[in-house]
Amino acid sequence: MSQLAPSLPFHRVNILTGTRTARLVEDPVEYAKQIAKAQRPLLVLGPRLLKITLGGKLLLEYALEIAKTKNIPICATATVKSKMVELGVQPDSVYDVVEIINALKDPNWKGVRKEGNHDLVLFFGFRTDLGEQGLSVLKHFAPHLKTMTMCKYYYPHADFSLPNIRKDEQWKNILEGIIENLKKE
Amino acid sequence: MAELKEITRKLKEIHEKIKAEIPWEPIGHTPMPEIPDLRNWDMKLLQTYKPFYAPFCDLCCFCTYGKCDLTEDCRGACGIDIATQQARFVLLACLMGCSAHASHAGHILDVLIEKHGPDKKINLGTSVELEAPNIRTVLGLKPETLGDLKVAIEYVYKEIAHLLDSTHMGQEGSCLDYESKSLHAGMLDHVGMEVGDIAQIVGFNYPTSVADTPLVDLGWNSVDKTKPIICFIGHNPATSTVVVDYLQENNLYDKVELCGVCCTALETTRYSARAKVIGPFSRQLFFLRSGIADVIMTDEQCIRTDMPQEATKAGSALIAALDKAMYGLEDATDMDTDEIVKKMVEEKKHFAILDPKKAAEVATKVAMAIAPHRKKQWITEQEATELAKKCSMCGMCEQACPNLFDIGRGISEVAKGNYDVIREIFNLCVGCGKCEEICPRHLPIFKIMQVGASKETWKVRTGRGPIMDTEIRTVGAPITLGTIPGVVALVGCSNFPDIRDLAEIVDEFARRKYIVVVSGCTAMAVGMWKDADGKTVYEKYPGDFDAGCVVNVGSCVANSHISGAAIKIANIFAALPLRGNYEVMADYVLNRVGAVGIAWGAYSQKAASIATGFNRLGVPVILGPHSSKYRRLYLSRKDEDEWKVMDARKRQIVETNEPSPEHLAYVCETKEKAMVMIPKLCIRKNDTPQGRAIKLNHYISLYKKYMGGGLPEDLPLYVRRDADIPLVYKKEVKAYLTQIGWKPKEPVGLPTLIGTYPTKVPVDSVIH
Repeated sequence: MSQLAPSLPFHRVNILTGTRTARLVEDPVEYAKQIAKAQRPLLVLGPRLLKITLGGKLLLEYALEIAKTKNIPICATATVKSKMVELGVQPDSVYDVVEIINALKDPNWKGVRKEGNHDLVLFFGFRTDLGEQGLSVLKHFAPHLKTMTMCKYYYPHADFSLPNIRKDEQWKNILEGIIENLKKE
Repeated sequence: MAELKEITRKLKEIHEKIKAEIPWEPIGHTPMPEIPDLRNWDMKLLQTYKPFYAPFCDLCCFCTYGKCDLTEDCRGACGIDIATQQARFVLLACLMGCSAHASHAGHILDVLIEKHGPDKKINLGTSVELEAPNIRTVLGLKPETLGDLKVAIEYVYKEIAHLLDSTHMGQEGSCLDYESKSLHAGMLDHVGMEVGDIAQIVGFNYPTSVADTPLVDLGWNSVDKTKPIICFIGHNPATSTVVVDYLQENNLYDKVELCGVCCTALETTRYSARAKVIGPFSRQLFFLRSGIADVIMTDEQCIRTDMPQEATKAGSALIAALDKAMYGLEDATDMDTDEIVKKMVEEKKHFAILDPKKAAEVATKVAMAIAPHRKKQWITEQEATELAKKCSMCGMCEQACPNLFDIGRGISEVAKGNYDVIREIFNLCVGCGKCEEICPRHLPIFKIMQVGASKETWKVRTGRGPIMDTEIRTVGAPITLGTIPGVVALVGCSNFPDIRDLAEIVDEFARRKYIVVVSGCTAMAVGMWKDADGKTVYEKYPGDFDAGCVVNVGSCVANSHISGAAIKIANIFAALPLRGNYEVMADYVLNRVGAVGIAWGAYSQKAASIATGFNRLGVPVILGPHSSKYRRLYLSRKDEDEWKVMDARKRQIVETNEPSPEHLAYVCETKEKAMVMIPKLCIRKNDTPQGRAIKLNHYISLYKKYMGGGLPEDLPLYVRRDADIPLVYKKEVKAYLTQIGWKPKEPVGLPTLIGTYPTKVPVDSVIH
């Protein structure tokens, strides 16, 4: 059997989507640069962040650290808000994932801080099937913004995606690298 | 002039078909509607609930000009854009679904007319006088005989052909018009399903006009493996009912075990409460590979396409009993019965047999002949452990799993003698078999999973068919006033993120005195859970259509009784005429009947069309996360959209700023989120203060329970006046409303969309 190419998604139900696929980024420095470049980024957090720990730390905590470095607004979906509040952070907005994507589609939407629609949206903590479908919406109908994923799977419909990462240690290093570099940017 | 003549001729034709001369009700504006007739209603819905497209593929490969890349604003060679292509795909899905039900209905109707004659009276018992709410509303026909149902199904066939035509290359160029056509297909689906189930109830003498239908056994362990076993798979009971008759006529009823997977199982229990239900579609492949069935009889819809290969592997005999799926098998319909039996027993051949009587006789004889020689042993833990040791932990199975499970971890734990992980995975498994297909070591993963399979048995209540008129008279007022907080209908297939979610949702809302209705594979899945007292939801809650009850209407085609119940509320309780009066019925349901559908595990095209039919009727539907692959939702943006309605009493268009219902087709990722969306989507503008307070009480309390405290962010949008605030949260809510500067607003006396868009229906039509 042939080996899966690294730029195919991990959960193979999403493969063969079309001609434009995400730029695969493995370097946390480059990822951090892309985030830092954005004028109005948004971090959209999904319920898987509450189920996964990395290096003894809840994945949600990595997300909150990323947000903190550049004061990136947070949209909490599903049940994320309750855990965020428990960790002492109030989300800037609460929508479910299809609702925030529906709003992001509109170039005239004012964004979660009423400062204008976002130019970079980071997705973190969703099921790959739902996440990929949501990214497809934005790829086709939101040319005014870029998308980026922080999960350990390759998402072809994003603009920037991490690769499929087999070892959690590698993922942890990338996330920590992003946080460190964002602090420096 | 020529056009006028054509219209007159058409109308005359329609009037003949619906027997317009019988004046049981005045005929509304759209008897037997064609594609354009309800387009304005659709466009009104789509103005608020805009299509939200999530392309599953960027390409179109329908014609030889392609493949065409439709990414972003690219267009195909025919000019189509990505949004319209998605809408076209959704229409095709709805048409597949609608055709499946319509064809099932047409077939069963022919079988039953052959058996009973076309003049067989439709009699659904003393408590069901309004026998066919969908047919009466859509066509304007009051069917009195099986023959009358032919008129309805032929109308559905004709419309399907028109709709399918529109998907041909180079025609429809608007996603909204494709959506209107999908809504039309969805509506037709409910007509087709209603034809099918009424015919079955009348022709097979299924239970009707009774709520307390029998509880039957559920689960593979309920099957007596010491007897010859015949397993029915599919949706159409034309053959399974004949098998029951054959066994009874030949004094074999207690000697042969009958069971089923998917809707034919539910149908067969409506005919014989002795039949067992194995489970939903997600258990099909697992059960096939267990080899428990001696004979498998397939009919139609949701049956695996590799059935002959699977049957051969398991050593089971296969009879394809309907022409929908003949698998390339030899058609033995005209062959001598004994010769077929001989070939099936001695040569292990599978056959298509399209004569139900012959198929029944063959199935029985083959099962009795081969059963004594077949081993029906489950794998032992030791055997499973040995097999699991071959796993190389390559992770391919996880990559192939559509439900994203780490199956490899479960297998590697079995290799260590730990069966807990595989037990958990088995419970959640949707049964596609992709893990086994991709395994480079060819591990029999499903066989290994047998060690994790629950050996428990459960109960499911037999499908009861239509909601009784008497029940509607009791609950009509409390539903429309809001004091029964809502009707929650859990429908559809078994591609669940977690099968346990279903029973938990049912239990939560039945306990809260909602009316809970279930059907199809979901009706089976909700039975596969017991509370601390060892009771399933069917044993825990009565089967009436009333507050705090759980009603199983039946199989897929019985979904028409759920839409039918909503129509009955408008007709029986509110006394609005329904005959050819679809817009008035749908407008009433949208604005006044707090009903919501949940298709948590929808995978099929049928589920797409059923849900879309509910949407046209004004019933919102919540879908599970897999359903994002359907490509289209109907979402509003509560802060941006207009929420104007006509106050029919004052004849004024008013801006309510109240997003009720907020969405028409909505996907959410977790059960917890669904738990909170359900009460919200039951809110209607017509709620009385008391009813609204009850609904908000559930919305707030479920939000606190599942979202970790606080108040829902959008709560102020649903509080019209102080009286709407639930007593138990009064202090907290008032403090919050004061803080954000909330202002009271006047409730709308008689909310309707009629009068807010171009329609022939006068506002007077909605006043009762």
